[in-house]
Amino acid sequence: MKFKFKKYSPLPGFGLTFGYTIFYLSLIVLIPLAALFFKSFSLTWHQFWDTVTDIRVLASYKLTFMAAFIAALINAVFGFIVAWILVRYQFPGKKFIDALVDLPFALPTAVSGIALTTIYSKNGWIGQILEPIGIKTAFSPLGIMIALTFIGLPFVVRSLQPALDDLDLEVEEAAACLGANCWQTFYKVILPAVLPSLLTGFALAFARGLGEYGSVVFISGNMPLKTEITSLLIISKLEQYDYAGATAIAVVMLIISFVLLLLINLLQSWNNRRVNNGGVN
Amino acid sequence: MSIIIHNISKKFGAFTALNNINLNIPTGHLVALLGPSGCGKTTLLRIIAGLETADTGKVEFEGDDYFSPVVYGKRIGFVFQHYALFRHMNVFENVAFGLRVKPRKSRLSKAEIKDRVFSLLRLVQMEHLSDHYPGQLSGGQRQRVALARVLAIEPKVLLLDEPFGALDARVRQELRRWLKKLHDEIHVTSIFVTHDQEEAMEVADQVVVMNEGKIEQVGTPEEVYHKPASGFVYNFLGNVNLFHGRIEHGQIHIGEISMEWPENELVINEDSHEQLKTATVFLRPHLLEIDKSPNYKSSFRAKIKHINAAGSQVKIELVASWGDSIVAEISHERFKELQLKKNMEVYVSFDKQNLFITPGLLT
Repeated sequence: MKFKFKKYSPLPGFGLTFGYTIFYLSLIVLIPLAALFFKSFSLTWHQFWDTVTDIRVLASYKLTFMAAFIAALINAVFGFIVAWILVRYQFPGKKFIDALVDLPFALPTAVSGIALTTIYSKNGWIGQILEPIGIKTAFSPLGIMIALTFIGLPFVVRSLQPALDDLDLEVEEAAACLGANCWQTFYKVILPAVLPSLLTGFALAFARGLGEYGSVVFISGNMPLKTEITSLLIISKLEQYDYAGATAIAVVMLIISFVLLLLINLLQSWNNRRVNNGGVN
Repeated sequence: MSIIIHNISKKFGAFTALNNINLNIPTGHLVALLGPSGCGKTTLLRIIAGLETADTGKVEFEGDDYFSPVVYGKRIGFVFQHYALFRHMNVFENVAFGLRVKPRKSRLSKAEIKDRVFSLLRLVQMEHLSDHYPGQLSGGQRQRVALARVLAIEPKVLLLDEPFGALDARVRQELRRWLKKLHDEIHVTSIFVTHDQEEAMEVADQVVVMNEGKIEQVGTPEEVYHKPASGFVYNFLGNVNLFHGRIEHGQIHIGEISMEWPENELVINEDSHEQLKTATVFLRPHLLEIDKSPNYKSSFRAKIKHINAAGSQVKIELVASWGDSIVAEISHERFKELQLKKNMEVYVSFDKQNLFITPGLLT
């Protein structure tokens, strides 16, 4: 099959818009990232390897990816519920809750970090309940997860809302008429229909979690090997004027993130192909 | 399984969708709920299916076997106007859905499900497209898949909500006949909703005509067509000419025509206890005759406004001498014989027995 770069479209301007896209992406994304790579090249391979395989760095990678992943998973589940409530039901205060969802977007991350730390620390409202039963939240990986969950919630909710809005009620009724129970209707009919949006929301929340700094540094306690996230390590390297070392850590982070996001995108397009299969409706 | 509907009423806010509906649908019948949009026919169907709850009244299912209504609840097949197929499943998976969601105990084996699905797909002539997705099918094909999907659960009752409403005329014709044939084969009690009188007449063996949340008439297609219970039914079941007449001294006056009409044949208006002086007169276009000269008493002058000779009959639009517009249908032979032209003055006549008259004004 011949590869077609451009499909016929009645709208002109492909050349212009494509050129603009490339230019813009280069200026805003690619050039700074390339600079990052070049800076890290000032290290020898040996130095580079030593920096990124430092035990503290490795621990931070593991913690950051795990925390971001689990937080995104939690958000996928609870964000789904929030989006479902907001789309499907009418209740007093709905607009208020809808606005509340965006708050983690709007709040300066440091502010949310301090607020979360206050609540979850030993004397905080929630911390004082959890601490006696042996659950340590602030200054532990759990605290990091809480912060990342807080930060990522709007991504899942906002990606899911339009998809849930588009769901055809008749399809659910059809499933029920055919004898499916609630759970079967959910995982056989509703979930596959909104899966692409759920994946998008998950990917966005995950990506946001990987790079998060402000809200985490307060609640994590920043104990080396235990609660130190990668962005914090990068900042501390920068504070020690070790620019090359900071970029080395960043480059590895960047590559892993990119590969993971690419995988999620591939998964999504595979799923889209399967669902839509050439047809529009 | 027969369906008995007792005193069903349903309101949506201030709007009364259904007003005290009573209906008995015997086992094995194919019944059409016919009415204009907003008459409550779809609401009634959804209440029977259990997709909607009634404000008052109840629906009873009675069978010759001993299942409880709860079990029956899962054996009601519902076909939606817009198919409601599962987009992410192919044709095979769509049809297999009802079989796969059964509790493990009563579920068929994989091979049995496959056999069953393919025999259903053969029945709806979709076997060759079993691996296609709904998005790749035409409207008619999608509706056939939807039917196969519903038949898979061996419904005791088949409910169809304007099943052919979204299809083009040709496919609609074809699927109508197919549905009739299918019903003759499997004899499941079926109710379908339609606003198309032709569809109801052609497919159903019992027609329920509804208007404004009430049942106007229940009967066979012949009964409702030839013995309409009300002006509404007569009006709804075919093309009509509608005139407003006055009743005076045993005579009915329509425009410039006057006919003998015994006043006691018309219903007394119960509210005012006084005989209504107005009446609505209906007449089907094909019962009108056109002549170049007056022939018998009930004829009137009219002017031809438009002629449409494309079709099995020639449709002629006229304006009566008193200003009402009228449609007449005559055969092509008659049309040639009379050599009718636009703007020609003609005489229109009709048989008095063919008039359908209801008291009061109906628009």
